Amino acid sequence: MKFNFNVSPNLRQKQSTRRIMAELTAALLVVYAFSLYFYYTRYDLDRAMQAVKLMVVSLAVALATESIWALVTKQKVKTFLMNSFGFVTAIILTLMCPLNITPFALGIATFFAIFFGKLLFGGFGQNIFNPAAFGRAIVFAAFAKASTDVITGATPTTLMATSYNWLPANNAAFTQLLDSIGGLGNMATGWYAGAIGETSAILLLIVGVVLAVRKVIDWRVPLIFISTVFVLGAVVGIAAGMSADLWIQYAAFHVLSGGVMFGAVFMLSDPVTSPTSAPGRCIFALGCAFITMLIRLKGNLPEGVLYSILLMNMLTPMIEKALDGKQNQIMKKAVTIFAVLALFAVGTSYVLGATGEKAEPAGHTAGIAQEVQR
Amino acid sequence: MSVISLFKGPMRQHINGHKDLSDHGDIKAVKAGKEVKIPLYATHSANFDVLVKEGDHVCVGTKLAQCNDRMIVPIYSSVSGTVKGTAKIMHAALKPVEHIVIENDDQYETTKAFAPLDYLEADKAELVEFVKNAGIVGCGGACFPTYIKYASDAKIDTLIINAVECEPYITSDYKMLNEYLDDMLYGIQAMRKMAGNPEVLIAIKETKKEMIAVLEKAVEGDRDHVSVAKVPDVYPMGWEKTLVQQLLKKTYNKLPSEVGAIVNNASTAITLGQALKEGTPLVEKIVTVSGDAVKHPCNVRVRIGTPVHEIMEAIGGYTCEDVKLISGGPMMGKTIVNDQFVIDRAVNALTVLENKPLSSVACLRCGSCSDHCPSGLQPVRIAQALNANDPVTMERLSVLDCVECGLCSYVCPSRLDVTENMRKAKRLMMLKAKK
Repeated sequence: MKFNFNVSPNLRQKQSTRRIMAELTAALLVVYAFSLYFYYTRYDLDRAMQAVKLMVVSLAVALATESIWALVTKQKVKTFLMNSFGFVTAIILTLMCPLNITPFALGIATFFAIFFGKLLFGGFGQNIFNPAAFGRAIVFAAFAKASTDVITGATPTTLMATSYNWLPANNAAFTQLLDSIGGLGNMATGWYAGAIGETSAILLLIVGVVLAVRKVIDWRVPLIFISTVFVLGAVVGIAAGMSADLWIQYAAFHVLSGGVMFGAVFMLSDPVTSPTSAPGRCIFALGCAFITMLIRLKGNLPEGVLYSILLMNMLTPMIEKALDGKQNQIMKKAVTIFAVLALFAVGTSYVLGATGEKAEPAGHTAGIAQEVQR
Repeated sequence: MSVISLFKGPMRQHINGHKDLSDHGDIKAVKAGKEVKIPLYATHSANFDVLVKEGDHVCVGTKLAQCNDRMIVPIYSSVSGTVKGTAKIMHAALKPVEHIVIENDDQYETTKAFAPLDYLEADKAELVEFVKNAGIVGCGGACFPTYIKYASDAKIDTLIINAVECEPYITSDYKMLNEYLDDMLYGIQAMRKMAGNPEVLIAIKETKKEMIAVLEKAVEGDRDHVSVAKVPDVYPMGWEKTLVQQLLKKTYNKLPSEVGAIVNNASTAITLGQALKEGTPLVEKIVTVSGDAVKHPCNVRVRIGTPVHEIMEAIGGYTCEDVKLISGGPMMGKTIVNDQFVIDRAVNALTVLENKPLSSVACLRCGSCSDHCPSGLQPVRIAQALNANDPVTMERLSVLDCVECGLCSYVCPSRLDVTENMRKAKRLMMLKAKK
């Protein structure tokens, strides 16, 4: 007989990190499958194959980078790859990019995401920035022009950003925008070309609910992020003097456009780069929503989700430290921080809505958009 | 405390109890062998005055030793026979402990260890004195001397009888409740008197429907004072603080008496009831032997001091060669690396599990440990502070409030030994405090 020693407890639940990552991967592939279907039916096989090509390049670069790292640091390659989950980063990064990105640019971005974004920090669990967001930021910064013309025309998000400055001049202008993109319904189903995996809000919502129920992601993060974006959008809309039915649609537009839904489900929920405590994650999600709105309305970039995540990643250690202690003792502090931040966000949004520079597109831009999106 | 809360984790978790392995079968009597070894063990001290010497004849109920160090804990013999001396061997608490070795003559000749006491006639002081002399200790696992809880003059409004049994696999309390219901009710009445006649709540999991019906019927005549309190089937529902929070909606710092409560285990009440009625100390235990590496999981009735290997032989042994033998349940029980240790007063289970090593991955900072910690601590942050050897942060994170319930390791998806990190951090803090 062999009686083994083991420190208690000697019982473990079934869910493992590997299973969490496997389920996350499955969820990402569902979203990806929708995209392939869209590009195949809406356009043609070539467009769908382009999406496949991008995914293959990104996965290959991710696995190659991690394999070489494992070899150089003298670790078993297979075990390292299985415990490092670089493929998840590659898939997320690909889904965040538009179909127009060149495979070369995506490959470089993947390398940066894996190597500088993760491995240099000490590998899985140690990285400060969300690696996929880090890689996507590299594309924004360095490969703005590295795009093909596989798909032509603007997405609803870029249209809103470039032609309307995220603040349509009047009710008529906003109605015109909604008309040109096929209404909010079209944005919800995601039947348009945008970032490969970010378009279908409904699908992302379903996937998010499933992941939350299965405890793969924390339900708090997407819930707070999405509802805050909606509330702040509504505040901006009301402050800008939109009519009752329009500010609701305006707020919904904020939720349905860009990377909000995708980010909520797959990026903000990344446990490695967000705070560990429940109230910390709530504050994190709230902060992301606020910064997203700030960048959208005042920044030079068309979209704010990505940078909001990276900025909040930097604040994560501070949030963690502020909430160190026992749950019941930090409760009051957490509620205070959350409430103050929420009030500040609402106030700022109101000012932005009331004073923001409203824009109306020159006639021809809207015309092009209409043509492309139909 | 709702389970779903925005700013707070659930601080608890349902765990599959595997209670069906052992809760329906009969209790098997396992006879004590040629030799029993009575542990001289108290949680607070190893300092015992031995009252017998080698060659002495002892009876069931002969006082063998007494700890007089801060708290009084007498130790009684569980068999009759001849004292062969002492031996220092591994104890169920994973510490080497002095044991008195007795050669069992198999006669079970009994002496009255102390006079029985009618609780109706006795006053509080007499009862507390009785509990002290009878050597009643917490039978839920902690082995803490029971009289201390009643010795203070704090105002007690609620006496909670803990029949929750939240550790997986263990069914011995359940079995004892079935067997000795009257003794428990008698013990409870005495406890109630000692505590100044508070309200009594018998806490039991809502899933144990049959037992709830039995208990409801048993307390029918005394509805004004005693009631059955159903609690959810989650871990660690049987921990004092979680139980008090659940039933009284109050949180205390160190002891339940701060919020006017005393918590005692149901089996402790049974032991007290029997001692009062018959004048006998605790000499026999009902112990659950269960787990996936036990051929025939069951409950056994054994004399205190019976070695584990004798019990395992008597019930059919193990299913495999490579096991983890745990004194207690799988969550808080300790693995012992041989089967020579003996059953002590607070051992209510032996859990034997197949040895399946875990493969762990890096912490992904999911915070599940912090969400589930019943003490409201943040194990992931404490592990980071331990890594950085930073006692100041550990202090701020209140690491010393950890009770090592094991839930943080249980929920960890990366399969890390989170609870062990907590122990290491606690040891580091204690060392600093001593300096």
